[in-house]
Amino acid sequence: MLNGLLAVALAAIFPGDTDIPSPTAAVERMTAFQAKLVHTGDGSSIEDCVILVKGGVITQVGANIKVPSGAELIVHDGALSPGLIALQSEDGAVGELNESTRTVMPEAEARYAFNPEHKDFSRALGVGITTLVLAPSPRSLIGGRTAVVKTSGGRVVKPAAQLMLGLSSDALNRNKFPTSYAGAMGELEKQFSNPEGSVSRAAGGSLPVLMDVNDRAETLRAIAFAARFDLKGALYGSYWAEDVVPAIKESGLDVVCTPFNVGEGSRGIRSVVGLSKAGVRIGFGLEAPDRHPESLRFGVALCVRDGLSPSAGMKALTGDAAAIAGVSGRVGRIARGLDADLVLWSADPVALSSTVKAVYIDGKLVHGGNQ
Amino acid sequence: MTGSADLPLLSDPPSYGTGRPPFQCEFPIAIANPADTNRLSLTGVTRVRRIKRMRSKVIWSSLVSLACGLSVSPMGSAFPGLELPGAPASEDPAVYVIRAEKLIERPGVVHENTSVLISDGRILEIGPDIALPDGATELKGAVVCASFIDPWSALGVDNGVLADTKMAESARTADGLNLFDVDHLFQEALRAGVTSARVQGGWQGKVCGLGAFVRLDPTLNDPKHAVLLPDADLAMSVGHSVNRGATFQRMGDGTFQMISGDRPTDVFDRVSEIEAVVSSVEAGEAYRRAEVEYKFKLKEWQEAIAEKQEELEDDFKKAKKDRDKKVKKAKEDGKEHKESKYKEDKKPREPKFNEDKAALARVAEGEIPLVVEVHRSSAIRNLLAGTERFSRLRLVIAGGSEALSCAEDLAERGIPVIVWPSLRGTTKKDEFTGATLSLAGELAAAGVPVLLGSGGRDADTTRDLPLLAQLAVGHGLEKEQALEALTIGAARAFDVADRVGSVELGKDADLLILDGMPLEPFTKIQYVFCGGRPAVTPEDN
Repeated sequence: MLNGLLAVALAAIFPGDTDIPSPTAAVERMTAFQAKLVHTGDGSSIEDCVILVKGGVITQVGANIKVPSGAELIVHDGALSPGLIALQSEDGAVGELNESTRTVMPEAEARYAFNPEHKDFSRALGVGITTLVLAPSPRSLIGGRTAVVKTSGGRVVKPAAQLMLGLSSDALNRNKFPTSYAGAMGELEKQFSNPEGSVSRAAGGSLPVLMDVNDRAETLRAIAFAARFDLKGALYGSYWAEDVVPAIKESGLDVVCTPFNVGEGSRGIRSVVGLSKAGVRIGFGLEAPDRHPESLRFGVALCVRDGLSPSAGMKALTGDAAAIAGVSGRVGRIARGLDADLVLWSADPVALSSTVKAVYIDGKLVHGGNQ
Repeated sequence: MTGSADLPLLSDPPSYGTGRPPFQCEFPIAIANPADTNRLSLTGVTRVRRIKRMRSKVIWSSLVSLACGLSVSPMGSAFPGLELPGAPASEDPAVYVIRAEKLIERPGVVHENTSVLISDGRILEIGPDIALPDGATELKGAVVCASFIDPWSALGVDNGVLADTKMAESARTADGLNLFDVDHLFQEALRAGVTSARVQGGWQGKVCGLGAFVRLDPTLNDPKHAVLLPDADLAMSVGHSVNRGATFQRMGDGTFQMISGDRPTDVFDRVSEIEAVVSSVEAGEAYRRAEVEYKFKLKEWQEAIAEKQEELEDDFKKAKKDRDKKVKKAKEDGKEHKESKYKEDKKPREPKFNEDKAALARVAEGEIPLVVEVHRSSAIRNLLAGTERFSRLRLVIAGGSEALSCAEDLAERGIPVIVWPSLRGTTKKDEFTGATLSLAGELAAAGVPVLLGSGGRDADTTRDLPLLAQLAVGHGLEKEQALEALTIGAARAFDVADRVGSVELGKDADLLILDGMPLEPFTKIQYVFCGGRPAVTPEDN
């Protein structure tokens, strides 16, 4: 909060300076991370890799990089990955993301519910999650816009990332509009036929949508709706996807997979594996704090056990997730110019038996290590 | 209570439990759902097909040829009359020889290049060079280890028995098994390497009845084979804030709506629940004492009677004369003659039989363990203090979310804790609030015997126990301790270590063939042997 105020104050003092310095930008010293294995976030990995970080940003990545003198060197005898990204969460904002009085609120913004001081974020950090998407409740037809935030430092990576649409039965009410799919779809079509504000940006494809679906009929309905109004974005809900994989693949939509429970039905697992194998870009929702933040890696572990390749699982937690949230230019991969959000693991990050040793956000140690 | 006179609350919803079973009835155990006869035959057909498929690949041999094979093998003669306890684990007489690059007999005991001979469901031989008996199937694998055990599972328990909140101490989960409805879950658990479990009904009640130790093989549809122990433990719970069944409230339109009612959980309730556990054990102890006293007194009385009888026979004439004299005198005095009484006339009275107290007596004597699900540190502390004087009691703590505060006591008394590494959120404040994923590791580091279970709520979570164990490893538990918890540790705690939990001579052949070390993230399970039969083969994956 203070950082935000500081930023506003600075912006007021230097009105011409649009590049607001981030809190870590003052740290001029270079840091070098040397790890046994680096998962870059795009599905590949580099052995004995060095990552140079300056001003909270990655400046160089590679196996044969000389560590400049004067740089702080951090040697890690394990795996290193980009910070994990959860694509749906209510962390620190329980009850603040569900505006239940109205069902159409395209201009609502989840970032106003962001409370960076909340202890939910330290739980997320502890399991290697550095970025998450605060999403309005899917119980509204048009719930508003999601916000991509970091779990430490209070930074909003992208304030209005996606427009949340409720196309599942969760958006239907017992005694309040809409009470049926027919009514719901009619209202959505009305909104998108005469689009204004966020809806018009979504209809033009410049603002991605996140469409909540549960069953197969809802999935197909959402795909048809997206095609009719030329929407880009992702489906949220994967349990029944197994039977409609070709349709999803053809639509070009991404899929945010429903978080997994212990004992998750095998259909839900098969669906995710099937989507990944068909080449659909996937990421995972989290639904914290209702669920434990380790549910994110647990879901991937279940899928890996049943045939998902570990590298595809890793991608779904990092690079692909960032692309789905529209922030791949900032986070999700270990590449030049991206934020230095790094997690140091004892072993492979996809393995549940691996331990988080340290977490860095914007090049700053925020969890573990020798703090 | 919020119900008004217009909205009556039915506090006792219909119970779906099987009720109290007859005491000590022997097998066959009733299958919960008799309407399953169709499924039974279907399962039977599948089984025949499976076996045919298996056998078409190999020429299986009879026991006779096994004997021939044994006679040529170097160690065979050492065990000609090996007595195997209990019923054979499988009716499948097929013989297997598994050649392992690494055989993990039990955590910490590893043999290189060792073979295992399996016949009739048992491990008949372990050694470096076992000759392949005629017709036996030879399998090779990088690693062989004991298959996993879930010591806290709901798999295969009928839903009515699981939801029963009024289980009696003597009620047996084994009488409420439904081995058919969830056969796909059995198959999934097997694929994950879990082949047996301690299953427990009635987890929502204060008393949960007797748990059973079962083998998770959907094709072993005879309870005689599926149930290793019908009375693996007696379970109770303290301080649950779970729904105590449900109440039904009548709505304005005349329909009934189910209202979930929470079991009261304030601190006084919890104290009284602990007192109930302690006094139950006390009652069991008293019952056993009364039984023993009765047996002793009965013997004393029988001896005294015999002595008196002898005495009478020796001096019968004199005794008769004396009596006649007394009868005559009484007549003269106009009184009624009273036969003189001997203290030996009073036969000691047998204590009234009570099946629940008999079950509690077994607990008090340590014949079966007492599993108490308890989470809050104050409740655990009080439970430990209350049970300290029962020297034979074998207490097992299930859950133990805040058990770390009593770790020293638990370690000193060797009380195992079945940790449930669950992925709970923080929105609900309840008895699990203090639980962390690092609990298992921290307890183990403090010297407490740690077991890992899947919570006994849902049948489908047993499948994920190996993943939960990995998660516990990720949060501080040593890998070897995790493996021990899933194998021999769980077997020991529930008295089945003579049957399962390690790869040793004479034990049931419940084992895994893996392409790497167990509980490693990317290790694939190739074969799962359950009761000597390959329940999962590479084709199933």
